[in-house]
Amino acid sequence: MKIADIVGGLVGILIGLYAIWEGTKMPTDVVMKIGPSFFPNFLAGFLILFSVVLVINAVRGKSKGTVEPMRLADKGVQRGLITLAASLVFCVILEPVGFIPSSIAFLAFMMVVMGKRKPIPILIAPPLITVSVWLVFEKILNLSMPAGLLADML
Amino acid sequence: MEFNWGLMFSSYAAVFTPGILFMICVGTTAGIVIGALPGLTATMGVALLVPLTFGRPPLESLSMLMGIYCGAMYGGAISAILIRTPGTPAAAATVMEGYPMAKRGEAGRAMAMALFASFFGGVVGAVIMTFASPFISSIALEFGPVEYFALAIFGLSVIISISGRSLIKGMMAGFFGLLISAIGFDPISGFPRFTFGMVEMMEGPPFIPTLIGLFAVSEVFNEVQKSGVTQQVKAKLDQYLPSWQDIKYCFRELCRSSIIGTVIGAIPGAGGDIAAFISYGEAKRASKNPERYGHGEIEGLAASECANNSCSGGAMIPLLSLGVPGDAVTAVLLGAFVIQGLQPGPMLYKEHIDIVYQIFASMMLAQFAMQFIGMAGIQLFARVIMVDRAILTPAIFVLSVVGAFAMRSNIFDVYTTLAFGILGYVMTRYDYPLSPILLALILGPMAEANLRRAMVISGGDPSILVSRPIAIGLMVLAVISLILSIRGHQKVEARMAEMEAQFEKAVAD
Repeated sequence: MKIADIVGGLVGILIGLYAIWEGTKMPTDVVMKIGPSFFPNFLAGFLILFSVVLVINAVRGKSKGTVEPMRLADKGVQRGLITLAASLVFCVILEPVGFIPSSIAFLAFMMVVMGKRKPIPILIAPPLITVSVWLVFEKILNLSMPAGLLADML
Repeated sequence: MEFNWGLMFSSYAAVFTPGILFMICVGTTAGIVIGALPGLTATMGVALLVPLTFGRPPLESLSMLMGIYCGAMYGGAISAILIRTPGTPAAAATVMEGYPMAKRGEAGRAMAMALFASFFGGVVGAVIMTFASPFISSIALEFGPVEYFALAIFGLSVIISISGRSLIKGMMAGFFGLLISAIGFDPISGFPRFTFGMVEMMEGPPFIPTLIGLFAVSEVFNEVQKSGVTQQVKAKLDQYLPSWQDIKYCFRELCRSSIIGTVIGAIPGAGGDIAAFISYGEAKRASKNPERYGHGEIEGLAASECANNSCSGGAMIPLLSLGVPGDAVTAVLLGAFVIQGLQPGPMLYKEHIDIVYQIFASMMLAQFAMQFIGMAGIQLFARVIMVDRAILTPAIFVLSVVGAFAMRSNIFDVYTTLAFGILGYVMTRYDYPLSPILLALILGPMAEANLRRAMVISGGDPSILVSRPIAIGLMVLAVISLILSIRGHQKVEARMAEMEAQFEKAVAD
């Protein structure tokens, strides 16, 4: 956890410094004495303070807890990274391709990633889930989902 | 504000219609299912299902959400008893007595008591909520910007108590959340802050997509890394209600735990898990047979389940009367209220008093729905635990994306959900708690806007902040809460660690 805490603390310090730097570009208020930058500067100051404490604690070996290291050879980590990539692709293609095709493809792909090998569940579950969700949101709740490639059919 | 009995009866009449009862039952069933699935918390359940209420009338939506909340709090007990895995963090104490009971062939008895204790606690919590909220809101009606600022500071002072293991990381998460809440137009001058020039960021990160990301998508990333072995349930469930002897034996604990749970729930920041552990600890301390605890003592099971359900009524008190959420689930509920055009707090009592009483009524009816649905579906809910994770986990992601998109039909909200999902996963992995972010997102704008308004009134003189007695009282409470939280943090942590060690031992046995 030591290195993770040092990295976390440094990220906190950077975020705080960025907020203060952005604050310098905000106008000051002559009437109220405090302008738009007052609150963010105040918060950023405290974020930096606690981040520094975290880093100091970590350097002094006072970090709490343990964290399992991430190894690329680990199946779980591989699944996590594949899921991240698949989620990104799903979000990007959602509007141009449409909810129904992209959701079916995503669900089927993820079932395989998560260890499903039998073809029947992979063929049945994704369309069933997708169409159920689509019916509930589009037809019952009247909330529009991206139609994409199926715009003429739906 | 006096309690309005006439409005109470008319609210029950409004809720007691087939349409609303149906929504309560749908919500309760969904809540029990989500609560029963290990890894899916009540917070996640409400966040995930809030989009289902978009476009529905407020009463329908809120009734359903009350059902989800109550159902999910009970649902956690099912997997805790049957497969020694608490469905929600609030059910962790239930495992210690519930699973040993199931192991010696008393799963039906344990399930029946868990359901009844949840119902009992839920009813007591709902009754206290019904009578306490109007009283507190009547005081809050006098609030101006100074008092609201002090209230927000008091609310934020509890971040320490929800900081998990590391106080420093909890504070960092809180201040980070407050900085996120500063994104968008400045509340007084309208100057855009930290928007990176994006129009979508002008109003700050959208609340529902943000919390769906933090609580649902982050859990998906966490879940896919685990090996997908689904446990089988072999227990015989042949009892729907606890025996009269069991009720008599546990009655004292049921009463005590329901009060403890409601009071803990009403403290902003303290949730069902803390309520359950403290009630369980108190039950053990007061028991004539403490040596039976950890080996399937029904009294301990009743205490834990009763407390975590009564907590939901308690947590609604600050939400409805002050607009400050009592726990993470009520923070999500606050977002759902806002979507319906309702701002919880004293003004809700002034402008939508009918809705407030209808919420009281639906919360109460949700308890009865939970009891009946829990009994009727006991066999079905026990099977829910065995749902294939390879199908469920990706389906949760799809639902999260749909929920994020549905509110404004804006793809930016989907990216927000994904970004906060990744952030939530990283933070959880490295022990940064997520609840302080949620609290900060709600209380940050409230603190800043009222501070700035107070400054406008005083012409920039900060002494206005200590010019009103209620504000001074709240500030003093905030300071006391901070000191007690810091001093109590280690004590509670030590006690929770002790309980967890017992839990681990029970699991190992």
